[in-house]
Amino acid sequence: MEARVPLIDDGQVPPLLARHFEGGDPGVIVRALASVPELAEVAIPFIGTVLGPGSLPAVPKEVAVLRTSALLDCRYCIDSRTVAATEMGLDRALVQAALATPAGERLPGLDDAMAAVVAWIDAVAVGTGPVPDRTFAAVAAVLAAHQIVELTVVVGTTVLLNRFCTSLALPTSAETRAALAQQGFSS
Amino acid sequence: MTTVSVAAAIREGRLEGRLWLYSTYACNLACTYCLTESAPGVPRRALGADRMVDLAHQAAGLGFTELGVTGGEPFLDPSLPQVLARLGEVLPTLVLTNATLFTPGRVAALRPLADLPVKVQVSLDSSFPDRNDHARGPGNFRKVVDAIPRLVALGIGVRVATTLDGEDDPDDQARLCELHRSLGVGDEDHVVRPVVARGRAGARGRGIRAGTSELPPELTVTIDGAFWSPFGPTVTDGVLATDLLVTRTIDPLCIPAEALVRLIEARPAGSDARTGIR
Repeated sequence: MEARVPLIDDGQVPPLLARHFEGGDPGVIVRALASVPELAEVAIPFIGTVLGPGSLPAVPKEVAVLRTSALLDCRYCIDSRTVAATEMGLDRALVQAALATPAGERLPGLDDAMAAVVAWIDAVAVGTGPVPDRTFAAVAAVLAAHQIVELTVVVGTTVLLNRFCTSLALPTSAETRAALAQQGFSS
Repeated sequence: MTTVSVAAAIREGRLEGRLWLYSTYACNLACTYCLTESAPGVPRRALGADRMVDLAHQAAGLGFTELGVTGGEPFLDPSLPQVLARLGEVLPTLVLTNATLFTPGRVAALRPLADLPVKVQVSLDSSFPDRNDHARGPGNFRKVVDAIPRLVALGIGVRVATTLDGEDDPDDQARLCELHRSLGVGDEDHVVRPVVARGRAGARGRGIRAGTSELPPELTVTIDGAFWSPFGPTVTDGVLATDLLVTRTIDPLCIPAEALVRLIEARPAGSDARTGIR
């Protein structure tokens, strides 16, 4: 399937975005965003900051991205984040559970702390209206307030990316498909 | 970033003082070196009169000192003389045209421009009619040499722009200079530039490379966005080039203007060398 919008190639990079293409292939999200340079100029660093190292430990952050992508059924994000999660050493059973467990259900094999985090992720990603007080109380028992803020931004940004990639039909790269196959996952 | 930096960049010569407005992509000609693949039947995709005037006012407020109107063929819009009068009341304005649509009625409509700082730049590529018309279309030479004296007679400032496609022919250039002088256009109002390898010329493998290193920064606004230079919004095989796209946002004008100034200020020292492509 081809993307529904132009993916800016290396010869057509707008001047404002040159630095994002200097380090090699920036990926299809950046190439799609590049059609609107002034938006991409701020969105790319924002996304990098949100998904990069922060106050939230790496495992819950990666689970948040993977789980949200699975709940939103974003093929591009599921593929790319499955590879990333596996490469960072996330437990394979946790990856599979995050991908397969329906929204609102407890993932098998999680301790209570991680279950509370995932319940928060599920509620933010696909819930409507207020998140129940008991869900907040559970996550507040295991994460500091600033970490809940960061986790919520991670989930929200992932929702944005999920809908962006899915709506615009951004394709999984051949490299990602190859990595998935090598890791024993299917695209 | 404040608007002061745009004004300062213009005042200090780092940003050209002219704001270019791409009035339309449509044209009644299909020149062999056209940057935008303009031609009869190409959708107009016009900025619109009121938006052009509004942008002109914003440009003046930001510190721009001149306006340029180009296309496509701006005079495909019958109301352009009135639009130019409104623009000329804001800032000195230069309009680029192929001068093939200047019927007596349209020339008469231009009369009020004689009292305003509005100049008309007419394209004429060769002193030899067949050579000129090979690039610009049958009958072009005759129409241009007919139109220029009528514009001059009205008291409107006229410039002649020559685009060189291929080898420079000194004999032709000398004859062309004699011609434009005879038509009432002095040497100071004759500009000569090379074909740029973008758009239709680029697709034919003609012209010289023109990127940010070669082109002076001249903010150029089109319906598709704002560009580094009037050579920026080029179209090849129907696809808009984005390598000189600054922003998609054109209004408020401060957004592309300030983005362009940031790009200029981020350039390494010495990278503002120019090749004189105008």
